[in-house]
Amino acid sequence: MPLSQIEIGKRCRIKGVTGDDAVRHRLGALGFVEGMEVEIVAEVGGNFVVGVLGSRVAVDGALAKRILV
Amino acid sequence: MSIKIALAGNPNCGKTTLFNDLTGSDQYVGNWPGVTVEKKDGLLAGRKDVVIQDLPGIYSLSPYSLEEVVARNYLVNEKPDAILNIIDGSNLERNLYLTTQLLELGLPVVVAVNMIDVVRRNGDRLDAAKLSKKLGCPVAEISALTGEGTKEAAALALEAAGAVAEHGKARPPDAPHVFSGSVEHALAHIEESLHGAVENATSRWAAIKVFERDAKAIEALNVPADILAHVEEHIRDCEKEMEDDAESIITAQRYEYIGKIVGETFKRSARRASTTLSDKIDKIVTHRILALPIFILSLCAMWWLAVAEGGPGTKLTDWANDEFLGDGWHLPFTAREVDGKDYETATGDYAKAKATVEAWEAGRKKAFVEDEETGEVSEEWDVDETAYKAAKDAKEPDPSDYGVWIPGIGALIGGGLEKLGVGETVVSLVKDGAWGGVATVLGFVPVICIVFLFLAFLEDCGYMARVALIMDRIFRKFGLSGKSFIPMIVGKGCGVPAVMAARTIESERDRRMTIILSTFIPCGAKTVIIAMFSAVFFREMWYVAPLMDVIAIAIVMLGGIALKKSSVFAGEAAPFVMELPAYHMPTLRGVFIHTWNRVKGYVFKAGMIIFPACVFLWFIMHFDWSFNLLSDEEIERSMLHDMGTWMAWFFAPLGFGSWQGAAASVSAEIAKEQATATLGLVAANMDGATTAAHVSNLFASFGDFPKLSAMSFMLFNLFVPPCMVAIAVTFREMGSKKWGWFAVGFQLLVGYVLAMSVYQIGVFVAGGGFGFWTAAAILVDIWCLWMIFRPARKIVR
Repeated sequence: MPLSQIEIGKRCRIKGVTGDDAVRHRLGALGFVEGMEVEIVAEVGGNFVVGVLGSRVAVDGALAKRILV
Repeated sequence: MSIKIALAGNPNCGKTTLFNDLTGSDQYVGNWPGVTVEKKDGLLAGRKDVVIQDLPGIYSLSPYSLEEVVARNYLVNEKPDAILNIIDGSNLERNLYLTTQLLELGLPVVVAVNMIDVVRRNGDRLDAAKLSKKLGCPVAEISALTGEGTKEAAALALEAAGAVAEHGKARPPDAPHVFSGSVEHALAHIEESLHGAVENATSRWAAIKVFERDAKAIEALNVPADILAHVEEHIRDCEKEMEDDAESIITAQRYEYIGKIVGETFKRSARRASTTLSDKIDKIVTHRILALPIFILSLCAMWWLAVAEGGPGTKLTDWANDEFLGDGWHLPFTAREVDGKDYETATGDYAKAKATVEAWEAGRKKAFVEDEETGEVSEEWDVDETAYKAAKDAKEPDPSDYGVWIPGIGALIGGGLEKLGVGETVVSLVKDGAWGGVATVLGFVPVICIVFLFLAFLEDCGYMARVALIMDRIFRKFGLSGKSFIPMIVGKGCGVPAVMAARTIESERDRRMTIILSTFIPCGAKTVIIAMFSAVFFREMWYVAPLMDVIAIAIVMLGGIALKKSSVFAGEAAPFVMELPAYHMPTLRGVFIHTWNRVKGYVFKAGMIIFPACVFLWFIMHFDWSFNLLSDEEIERSMLHDMGTWMAWFFAPLGFGSWQGAAASVSAEIAKEQATATLGLVAANMDGATTAAHVSNLFASFGDFPKLSAMSFMLFNLFVPPCMVAIAVTFREMGSKKWGWFAVGFQLLVGYVLAMSVYQIGVFVAGGGFGFWTAAAILVDIWCLWMIFRPARKIVR
């Protein structure tokens, strides 16, 4: 299911990121790879703050729909 | 031959702090050739032969963003003698992603684990020796903030660089075995196929690039097409087996490898809480209700500091302009009173006395004192013979009686020239023309410094990233992202750093749109225009000043919507991905260096443009076509007068089509405050005793609706392209002349249409009749409305 539907504070594992563009590879470099555990830290105005590898990455709502967990 | 050490690392890993620590303040900041990416290098402190080349903060060496391409090209083509890779110790895994790529380049690498003090404080433990063995390169532990270990890290880098020099062409360091299974199998195949076709030192890297189908890298490596075709089968087999595309396979395997070695070398403390301090702060700062007020509060703080009446910014600006660069000032704590009066009161009294004398001798019954900048009359009183006789005896107060007096630079120049006994022309040229130009540039510096300082602080502590996140929801409605907001706040102080702040926006389309729109926000200089016109024409209408800000916001929104409807800018807003770095207290030194670099760049650029322009303006204002020097009253014989007359037709539909209106508006492109200064000078021949009266009468001479003319003049100068320096920066940041001209054209159109509509329709509504231009204005307005409200084009990308 897409990351955008996960509730705040929950941990889950990445299955993949749909689409094939530069952003997908940027996300990969930041740690959004298959099997990586991430946490939904907060939601701000439709955008999400995701905890990955100990850092905090903000992604917009549309992008969050493309991240499958 | 100088040794080149490249500094590479993630954004927010403390690279800049380390750079400052290693180079002192001996830095050179510019741009990488041909791109709007900041290039910074400096000399290692104490070693004039060692250049530290700072690379842009990057997460990987992919070809997807300008920063990454610049860094990658530098490393591959320039081949620095060693790479000093900085890693955030509290964020080890993500930082090591870049490290694995750097190790494949065939250059000596030294890893410096930064923020080691934070690691220790958290109770975590790093086995640096073991990590060094696994990576196959030296690993140092440093804290750039405290300076711990930095010299040792630099020494290690030099050693690594030296090893190359000693042994000539070095054997590439043994890159660690990152990949496994069928991927390693495929890579080995590719490496074999490439043997001989590429340099030995980079064959591993080349193999990986071929596997990833990295078009830019492959092209640069000149890999023969038949080899590519041959290995394509291997790549596809791998992709089928791993059920993923080649690039993602590589990425995933890198993180698998990283996870393994970190597990073996890094022990996380058991007592680590899941929400960090930064998370707690963010709960408040990005809170649904509190976020905006907190942000607005910090903005108000910046504006109060920089441009508020009575705030430190304006105090500093006034001191700089009127005293330091002008007449002079008293050293603090040395001010004295004479006869119970301080210097300010004494000069005030003397000015009044002079005004009394002048008024009486001119046969007037009233005397007045006016504000230099806005022409506003601050005091007015009746004069009679007794007052006149008393005033005649008044003596000019000697500033040195009132404290330690330091003459201003302007006064020194004037005094010096007098002593030299040079002619009036030269005095005017040097003091008013040349020095006037320099003083104009330097006069901005206090405001620029404060704005840059504040922004540097917000950026370095990590808050700016949150601002972009908070504003993103609103901006997404106009097809932009939250990152477009920051240039607009910056624009409140000055348009030059505002345009430059758009660099953080990755999407070229969004960046261009942001650059075009940010200069509509009234900057500090434009505020001077608002102040003068409010005082002279709109005194009772207090809402005029804030109205200008409202109009600016409206233009940004409507302009954004209109631009988005065109095929060039249409499309969804670019995806928003941004790391939120942990909050940290920026170092004072870091903030100062950050600010100083920007101020330096601004002053240099501004100086090169404003200075010659001011001299030119002075020249055409004071000379006629036969190059005779004119007095102030003879300004109608000047070249400026004629040039203004040639251009006056352009401004006729706007309600101020005279040589004065033209001259003031065009001169405003040098620096927006010039509009008011020039108006004061060109209106000097009008009836009236005060500057305010002159300007008022000038506008009255334009027609029956002086207030509308004034409003139109103000709108025009506020919303056409910004000053020349900002335009120059726009051209540079746009990256192409075509886009620069588009921006200028768009802004000119907006300012002109706005001024014309307000004037023409205003005249009609006020009973001035319906004319050709009224109709023209209405038609243009309808066209604008259509551009804004037409259905968006469906783009197929």
